[in-house]
Amino acid sequence: MAVDMKTIQFLIALWKANLQAAMEFRSAFLTQVIFMMINNGAYFMFWVLYFDKFKVVQGWTLQDMMLLYGIAATAWGTAAYFFGHFTTLAEVITQGRLDYYLSLPKPVLLHVLASRSIGSGMGDIIYGIGSFIISGYLTADGVLRFVLAVFTGVCIFISFLTIIQSLSFWLGNTVALSQIALSAVLTFSLYPSALFNTSTKFVLLTIIPAALIGSVPAEFVRAFTWQSLLQISIGAFVFLILAVTVFHSGLRKYESGSAIQVEV
Amino acid sequence: MQKYLAIIKMQVINNIAYPGDFLGRSISIGIFLFIFAGLWGTTFRIAGTDSINGLTFANMMWYLMMAETIELGRPRTNRIISEQVKNGEVAYILNKPYNFLLYHFSFGLGDSLLRVGMNIVVGLLVAWLLAGPPPSLLGWGMALVTLVGAWILHFCMMALIGLAAFLVEETNSFELIYQKFVFVLGGMLLPLDMFPEWLQGVARALPFPYMMYTPARLFVKPDVELFWQMLGIQWLWVAALVFLLAIAYRGSEKVLTVNGG
Repeated sequence: MAVDMKTIQFLIALWKANLQAAMEFRSAFLTQVIFMMINNGAYFMFWVLYFDKFKVVQGWTLQDMMLLYGIAATAWGTAAYFFGHFTTLAEVITQGRLDYYLSLPKPVLLHVLASRSIGSGMGDIIYGIGSFIISGYLTADGVLRFVLAVFTGVCIFISFLTIIQSLSFWLGNTVALSQIALSAVLTFSLYPSALFNTSTKFVLLTIIPAALIGSVPAEFVRAFTWQSLLQISIGAFVFLILAVTVFHSGLRKYESGSAIQVEV
Repeated sequence: MQKYLAIIKMQVINNIAYPGDFLGRSISIGIFLFIFAGLWGTTFRIAGTDSINGLTFANMMWYLMMAETIELGRPRTNRIISEQVKNGEVAYILNKPYNFLLYHFSFGLGDSLLRVGMNIVVGLLVAWLLAGPPPSLLGWGMALVTLVGAWILHFCMMALIGLAAFLVEETNSFELIYQKFVFVLGGMLLPLDMFPEWLQGVARALPFPYMMYTPARLFVKPDVELFWQMLGIQWLWVAALVFLLAIAYRGSEKVLTVNGG
């Protein structure tokens, strides 16, 4: 327990340091946040136009899409802001930049992931929460379900990309593969899985777990069911265990490039 | 002219040097088309009709294939100019015996040629599997002609955003917003035919549809009269943006400060 508290304190210290670094370029940080919110809103215009024409598709309305975007954007933003290296882990591995983290007595994976913060992630968080609020599902139990849905979404986003990028330990440069995985999981998570056939839905619940980040959590917030709760909870737990296992297995294969690296 | 052709050639060779990476990037178009097939297949089935606002499911899929090809193949000139301004490399580019903007035009064109070609090949295969045979040769011809103007418009906008780095350094946010304007008002995610009348009017008054909607729409529904009309407006926008870019470049040169060496 003492170790857990120390880890949490360490994480908080890292996040504080990241925030202080961002505040050094305050206007750039604020610009990123505001522009990301505008960016998300402009992208959502597609659904406004779509539902203006078709009203209800497979039980999904514009309000449901706002909820889905709310969950996915908040989950993505939280992962990006607090664990920013989850999109660039493959580069850290292939460039031999793990040396720095290995030399310190802290959990390596957690330290790498949390040592970078993507400022625009805060824009996603604010947009996501705003989108949830105006979606019409803002009730006391709705908020609790939203928080749980975001939490599992963050776990799955980070875990899935950690697994894919950890392949760099065995395959060398997997930056292109990581970008495809990122693009696939992010894009699919923003569409209701009800649009796809059974085999695609299976893929979206397992190999590319996008449905566990967007659709299923949105259904869980719309109306509580044990099935959706189990799907997102077990999904998050399994992917988290897999990510930690794959990363640490790969770490045994890690070879330093002996390059001089500076981590700021 | 020779030197600019050499830059195009150099960039094409650079892209071929990493075939895995290059092929990997082209897979994205397959992912997007697969998602759109799910969305529009369901939409047409629920609507219980073969045609929505004059477009069939096959029209829609081939429209989106062309639109995605343009989006994924457009130049990323803004990022390169912005990086060169930030790291000071711009000083080495400016004193070379070529025009700064034409250098980037050639560089971007070399980069786009293969990406557009590869996206067309992958997109063609996926769209054919999902929606049946491609549009007629007339559609291909009209799309290719209007692609030229569309690419130049994209280049001008990207270069204008890149030149903003002379003033604000960080230009990624501008690109994101520009991209979303093209996504929505350019008709990338939804053809203008599906818009409410008032929004169609707004979109047509802006350059964005001529970067995306024009080639994609003419590709699936070739129409000679519409082709000449859209081509004319597209090149008026090209002239306007090239003029604006030239003025912006002159202004940027004046505010450039290079420290050290």
